Amino acid sequence: MFYIHQTSCISHQPTFHEVDLENLNRSDNNQLLAVEPKYSNIPIGQLRRMGRALRMGVGTGMQLLEHNQTDGIIIGTANSGIEDSITFLNQILDYQEGRLTPTNFVQSTFNAIAGLLGMITKNTGYNATHVHRGLAFENVMLDAIMRLNENPEHSYLIGGVDEISVRNYRMEAMAGWYKTEEVSNLDLYQTETPGSLPGEGAAMFIVNHKKDEAIAKLRAIQLLNVLEPKAIAAQLSQFMQQHLSDTEPIDLFLSGENGDQRFFKYYAACEKVIGPNTTIARFKHLTGEFQTASALALWLGCHFLQTQSIPAHAVKYIGDRNGLNRVLVYNNYHGEQHSFMLLERGGGN
Amino acid sequence: MDKEAEKLKLKEHIIRYLNLLQVTPDDIKDDMPMFREGLGLDSIDSIELVVMLEREYGLKIENPKEGRRILTDVNSMMEFIEQGRAKQNEA
Repeated sequence: MFYIHQTSCISHQPTFHEVDLENLNRSDNNQLLAVEPKYSNIPIGQLRRMGRALRMGVGTGMQLLEHNQTDGIIIGTANSGIEDSITFLNQILDYQEGRLTPTNFVQSTFNAIAGLLGMITKNTGYNATHVHRGLAFENVMLDAIMRLNENPEHSYLIGGVDEISVRNYRMEAMAGWYKTEEVSNLDLYQTETPGSLPGEGAAMFIVNHKKDEAIAKLRAIQLLNVLEPKAIAAQLSQFMQQHLSDTEPIDLFLSGENGDQRFFKYYAACEKVIGPNTTIARFKHLTGEFQTASALALWLGCHFLQTQSIPAHAVKYIGDRNGLNRVLVYNNYHGEQHSFMLLERGGGN
Repeated sequence: MDKEAEKLKLKEHIIRYLNLLQVTPDDIKDDMPMFREGLGLDSIDSIELVVMLEREYGLKIENPKEGRRILTDVNSMMEFIEQGRAKQNEA
């Protein structure tokens, strides 16, 4: 458990400076590329060497680290700067393992984002990167929970980042993970075909054990691997019993439904457990599908709790709860890696 | 290719290899220092320039001490390229 105090996000929607979730940016060519801001907070000499994932990760991280001292930086990324990785691998072939430049290699290592953030801000504290595919960001949260249990006075920057790589996109498309027909993100949930729309982005958070002035409290998190929908539903039921009392209803179920009909059964099973009184909203039409999309879901959950409003285009079903105090996020990646996150408004109880 | 065209090509290579955002060949004066003041490059950039000379011109800086002099500015790099080509032609 920890409290979330500040957040930063770069996504396909305007989320970095002025947040506007009402006027939805449409997908372009079946992709939800991030709308990158002008990175005034990254030294220009370093910015010119960075690929998209690094720019997004360092840009969002710096927005928070400029105003906060932390005791460590914990980043989740499935692929980090994979475009630079592939460029470097191709150079190994093209130049027969000779005449290789350092930049693509250095920038493409998984821990480059956390490392650069540490170096730019001269933060010599705990610095870790988790790379567990669709649960990379969830593992960051577990790490932060354990660090804070051992060091209750500490603060950490945590976040999740991934980019759409041109080459990797082709491979993932061939594996059947993306829609083959032209689909707008506005129509993502109306499709009856396999595949989703790819996305990218970064979301960062300052977390600690200080209740005062917190945006939200992460009350619980659970990670699950490769389970049938019935088992996921049973796990969700158990999760709710374990972490919520009878007087603490879920006001919003934030679902990672992604338009891929192969995985709809998981979300439908969870919706049954949540019951008819809880509002259901979806977020993949805002972010697209990628391994660390759950970091953006957490950012959205915090934003909804802070603003006490949910954009109409995200709402799937309107429940009868008054107010927005508790959000339960359920996401799965490729139907194999599942997570529940229970968020509460402000400092919680 | 005349010398000015060669210099323009070299400046384009420098911009591309170092991903110098918002810099045009016209911004790089022939005698502008590459490091610290001037273009403000750093040690990683120097390695990129060494690789660029190898890849684009087939020229290797054998002695690291010479590297500092060769990479001083566009004029010194151009001089190194011309000398290297002359040696290549002799061989």
